[in-house]
Amino acid sequence: MAYSNFTLDTVRTAFQLEIVESAGAFSEASPVVPRAHFTDELSERVELATSSGTEKARSELIVTDVLFELRKHFDHRISFFSGIEFSVDAEQGLTGVCDFLVSLSPILSLLEAPIIILVEAKRENLITGLGQCAAEMIAAQRFNAEKGNDIPCVYGSTTSGTDWRFLKLEDKKLYIDRTIYQIAQCDKILGILASMVEQKA
Amino acid sequence: MPYSNFTLEEVLATFQLEIVESIGIFSDIEPVAPSAVLVAELEKKVPVAAAINTEKARSELIVANVLFELLEQFDRRISFFSGIDFNVDVESGLTGVCDFLVSLSPVQSFLEAPVIILVEAKKEDPAPGLGQCVAEMIAAQRFNAQKNNNIACIYGAATTGTEWKFLRLKENRLSIDITVYQITQCGKILGILSSMVNQTA
Repeated sequence: MAYSNFTLDTVRTAFQLEIVESAGAFSEASPVVPRAHFTDELSERVELATSSGTEKARSELIVTDVLFELRKHFDHRISFFSGIEFSVDAEQGLTGVCDFLVSLSPILSLLEAPIIILVEAKRENLITGLGQCAAEMIAAQRFNAEKGNDIPCVYGSTTSGTDWRFLKLEDKKLYIDRTIYQIAQCDKILGILASMVEQKA
Repeated sequence: MPYSNFTLEEVLATFQLEIVESIGIFSDIEPVAPSAVLVAELEKKVPVAAAINTEKARSELIVANVLFELLEQFDRRISFFSGIDFNVDVESGLTGVCDFLVSLSPVQSFLEAPVIILVEAKKEDPAPGLGQCVAEMIAAQRFNAQKNNNIACIYGAATTGTEWKFLRLKENRLSIDITVYQITQCGKILGILSSMVNQTA
């Protein structure tokens, strides 16, 4: 059992989560305007990522750039990781590779607590990523606690690059924003991610 | 037996290739100046990719950006694909997913012949990617022939993003440039890739 085996239903049962769904839970975040060259290249990157359509192309051409931009916005005071092993509790199935992971530590050479955002990339259906992302968020919550770096909320996102959905985990409450944010509103998406880093979301 | 199972030794024996190794086969090729944006981005992305040090991060932060630039240089008259299934001959083991693949067709929605460059990404050392890359090059040669789009040479690269090794396959003659090109010579790398697209390499 690894993160990728969890559905939203199995993760809820296994970790006794209470699910709170609403529309626009994160919509209040102030937008963050990306650098000009990010916006200039975006439409072409989106076009390219969606026409070949693989999860890999979407991750490379869109998601990485968004997270890179986020790190830039915080002047490199945060770190992001891509494709690292994040094994926290094998017995409970909290093991596997995370697509993307943002930590509040600036260190890039190793993963330091506290982990703040888990991003799960999907080719098409964002719903299928929700369970996996929630399992990774629980693992991050435990990882942070083990390192004595308890923060009140851990955040998550499932994304196809073009569409983004956002999550928040506070104790055992899992908040799911039903709103789908589109990459055309990239300032909004960056704003939400920035508010997560600032722990205001 | 997919591409990833081939070592260089196995691929040479299986497909009866003649191997020619030399230093600097591609080194006389004129560099192509990278755009200011690419130079600025690589300056920031290369250290991040090297610190995260997964194949995924290296692909996302370096390789995809270099190939995107190549596409721009050719004004979108070529296409590149990332992470697609490329199944050509199951019996000979020519199946599997290719990390990156460049085609001379501008069509981006599906793969059209002729396939010209195969790029295999690796985490630490490009050398272990050579066998896999050569197997993909043979598959491309067959794919092109099947589509009546025979071109004289197929090219390949095995790369960690920071280090690049280049290959050429002409009929059953495989040339390996044992020079390792570093991403700091990005203009050189772009020049070599461009000359491959122009079939002058």
